[in-house]
Amino acid sequence: MDFYGYPRLDGQVGARNMVALIPTVGCVNAVALHIERLIRGTRAFTHHQGCLHPPQDTEQVTRTLINLGKNPNVAAALVIGLGCEMVKLEEVVEGIKESNKPVEAVTVHELGGMLETINKGAQIAADMVLEASKIKRERFGLEKLCFCTKCGSSDTTSGLSSNLVVGEVCRLMTENGGTFIQGEVCDIMGGEYALKDLCVDPSQGDKIIGFVKDLYERGLAVGADVRGSQMTAGNVAGGLTTLIEKALGANAKGQRVPIQSALLYGERPQCPGRHIMATPGHGFENLTGGAAGGAQLILFTTGRGAPNGHPVIPTIKICGNKKTNQTMKSHIDIDVSSIIDETETVAQAGQRLYELAIEVASGRLTKAEILNFDSQMEILIKGPVM
Amino acid sequence: MKKYAKLIAAGDNVVTSVADIKAGEEFYVKAGDRELSYRANHDVPFGHKIAIADIEKDGPVIKYGETIGLATTIIRTGDWVHTHNVRDHYEVR
Repeated sequence: MDFYGYPRLDGQVGARNMVALIPTVGCVNAVALHIERLIRGTRAFTHHQGCLHPPQDTEQVTRTLINLGKNPNVAAALVIGLGCEMVKLEEVVEGIKESNKPVEAVTVHELGGMLETINKGAQIAADMVLEASKIKRERFGLEKLCFCTKCGSSDTTSGLSSNLVVGEVCRLMTENGGTFIQGEVCDIMGGEYALKDLCVDPSQGDKIIGFVKDLYERGLAVGADVRGSQMTAGNVAGGLTTLIEKALGANAKGQRVPIQSALLYGERPQCPGRHIMATPGHGFENLTGGAAGGAQLILFTTGRGAPNGHPVIPTIKICGNKKTNQTMKSHIDIDVSSIIDETETVAQAGQRLYELAIEVASGRLTKAEILNFDSQMEILIKGPVM
Repeated sequence: MKKYAKLIAAGDNVVTSVADIKAGEEFYVKAGDRELSYRANHDVPFGHKIAIADIEKDGPVIKYGETIGLATTIIRTGDWVHTHNVRDHYEVR
């Protein structure tokens, strides 16, 4: 099987072909949004970070912005700065340029206000869109694909059906040379030792355990035992008995596929196969982490129906709850309630999802894209916010 | 209609009910090409677990091929398995 995507100069292949409008700081989101409305084919990667961070967060936001610009779905990037922010615009521009795609920058303080910046930025973006539109989809092998995954608005059916189906896709795609990024440290909690056992290099397993310990200790620092908040009364009523059981249900999105590395938030994997990234469960930051990791799309499982997509990567919504598949039909891309009914095996449904994902990578639109339910994103920071 | 409970990994000693199963009712488990039948000892709601093997006190409760908790009492095949007879042995280390 092959897919059709947009070739990039660095050898990556895009599932989409957007011109990215990347604010270095939340203060200039309005500029990006105005240009997005003016120029077809652009996407504003708005967020609320970029300033008044401790150095570790400035570094994380910078890394994430660079790697979002390098995402293969991006044909060209216009970086938009204010002029006084902590994230350095030149660093973001130079970082994205490593991918050899067209990158330009505009700065509000230098150009003398929003309207001037929109004027210049929109002209640059219009030229970029014209050039991007000349790129044609070509046929590529599945080793060029990278998927990330997440579960949101989960219910009892998630760990019993949709997560298992995604796990099957993880197995299939990594066997075909593809790359798979999984995260959600809060959901890993309880299953970190099982993940460590799957690590090719034990030192990477120790990093995964470190991700969980770090989250736990940061919870304690504000007087919260996050183990308790992860295991809700609703979970117990739904049949989940222990935190380990809940974690294994979430981790099932990667089946028992060997793990190659543990990644920082927004870091790009260095080899194909399955990787664990230090992303939170919160969707806006989670999806951005996977997109910065280089994923072309996300396999998003849901039980009750999480509608959000992401501006950089198409989001495939996978649902095993029969009722939700009817009530939230306009948001769900694939129904796997057959797993609950025992009318289809996980392997069969996995093949069905894999084929759908390859179609989406080749241009088929997801529900979140069609509904324009994909404009919001955020970048993870650790804080404190100054 | 036949009531099913789901076996996730071969070797698991609990299955998850995908129907509301009543005490004394027969339920079925698909294991590869085979279909096995058991009888429930208790009411087991949708999404809750039932033992398909006897588990000794302090023995592992296995789902997804991993130990999800330890039995706090003897659990018999067909028993409802939940917080009343399983303890969470997880600690952040």
